[in-house]
Amino acid sequence: MIKLENITKVFPSKNGNVTAVNNVNLHVKKGEIHGVIGYSGAGKSTLIRLVNLLEKPNSGTVTINGTELTALSNENLRKMRQKIGMIFQHFNLMKTATVYENVATPLRLLGLNKTEVKERVEKYLKIVDLGDREDSYPSQLSGGQKQRVAIARALSQEPEILLSDEATSALDPETTNSILDLLLKINKELGITILLITHEMSVIQKICDDVSVLENGEIVEQRSSIELFTDPRHKTTKKFLDTISQRKLSASLINQLKLNGTVTSLTFIGESAGEPLLAQVIEKFKVKPNILTANIMELKNGIVGNLIIHLVGEQDQINASLTFLNDQGVVTEEVEGE
Amino acid sequence: MENFIEQWLPIIGQAIIETFQMVIISLFFAILIGVPLGILVVLTRPGQSLENKFVYQLLNLVINIVRSIPFIILLFFILPFTKFLVGTTIGVQGVIVPLVIYTAPYLARLLESSLLEVDSGIIEAYKAMGIKTHKIIWSVMLREARPSIVLGLTIVTISLIGATAMAGLVGAGGLGDLAYRFGHLRYEVDVMYATVFILIILVQGIQSLGNRIAARLKKD
Repeated sequence: MIKLENITKVFPSKNGNVTAVNNVNLHVKKGEIHGVIGYSGAGKSTLIRLVNLLEKPNSGTVTINGTELTALSNENLRKMRQKIGMIFQHFNLMKTATVYENVATPLRLLGLNKTEVKERVEKYLKIVDLGDREDSYPSQLSGGQKQRVAIARALSQEPEILLSDEATSALDPETTNSILDLLLKINKELGITILLITHEMSVIQKICDDVSVLENGEIVEQRSSIELFTDPRHKTTKKFLDTISQRKLSASLINQLKLNGTVTSLTFIGESAGEPLLAQVIEKFKVKPNILTANIMELKNGIVGNLIIHLVGEQDQINASLTFLNDQGVVTEEVEGE
Repeated sequence: MENFIEQWLPIIGQAIIETFQMVIISLFFAILIGVPLGILVVLTRPGQSLENKFVYQLLNLVINIVRSIPFIILLFFILPFTKFLVGTTIGVQGVIVPLVIYTAPYLARLLESSLLEVDSGIIEAYKAMGIKTHKIIWSVMLREARPSIVLGLTIVTISLIGATAMAGLVGAGGLGDLAYRFGHLRYEVDVMYATVFILIILVQGIQSLGNRIAARLKKD
């Protein structure tokens, strides 16, 4: 659906050139919700603006639904953009216009007639649950409601793709959840492919099928959300995971525990999360596991559980029990101190 | 008092009409020239959709030059141009040309700052929706800038009233001219007071009206 190939974007600045996006390849499949996560300054905002060419890349191609956007004339690009909705961190609504006018104005400017405009505005305001706020001004709405108006505005053009530029970053956790639920609903019921950027791992956890981790303008890891949560490879990915789970232990504690036995992180996916595997390990290998941390995360496409245990026993028994756990589909990883 | 009103009412009335004529006609042409000029300055700015360094700097230079000249000097400075354009350099007709040239660049500057206040995120959102630039200017930028534009127009109108006072020098009449000729040259101090009083009421009224319209347009 969306394909970025070898995209590079360089901004000239007083202190030399800054490479905001460096040779990025990104593939978003039709119908999925794809998240790009990165710290501020990683190049996320630039990356998402490269998709609809609000920023022009220095090199590389953008292809959407088989059409190469980077090869289009300005006029054709403008028409193509009508099929790509976009929502923003700060909503970007007209302050002097009512909710109705905010959704209706772009439709009117795109040449729809009055009845069509009215039909669409009413339909999409209803979808975002704001059917009764048509005559309110943005200043009379909460942040979450403003974002809903912006979502209705984007949907009213009936796009195939929705780009979300930190759409929940200015909202409180509860409102964030309700907006995420709305995005899920849009994805499911209207079949709209969503590409979102965020710095919040909880957003990825809740709604993304696939994830790309962006650091210094480069994608360092691009996998399905389940894989990423069970077996994070890059250190930035691990840092992001630490932000939502309590699995970070202090180095001194780990070092102390390691004087006797080993400290291991066990990650369970889906089915294996339900099995009493630790009980079996105790019985079979005569080792003593002590649970240090435990948490369970509900992802969009499954459940991931994580335990950090302190295993005490004979070294070969410990190794055998880890192999057993591996065979049962548990991802094991020794936790290092400093 | 009754005598005063009887003697001066027709003359003052005539002066008010002349002032209004000058202000309204000049404002009309100033908007006609100043609005496109202001929009052009914004659009040719670095980073905007019609970015053009040469045009941008040229427009800035012209606006700054005209705005550097005090009206009373501009009035005489462009006499040949006025003569060429409207065939006369006196009367209401003769004073409209310098008033417009004096006001339009000022209006353009105020419009420029009003348009620049519009949140660039909104413009980006409309660009992302594939809407044509000229439609974004008319239906989004000018619309969002309305409260600020109204305040700018109020300032321009009031400064125009001030400028028309000097119009008496080319025989265009008006309130300022009345105060100067009768009040100052002929020592009719009462006429001067009456005129100043009317001018104060006028300026107050326009400012309040402008404020009220701007407040109504502003929704945050």
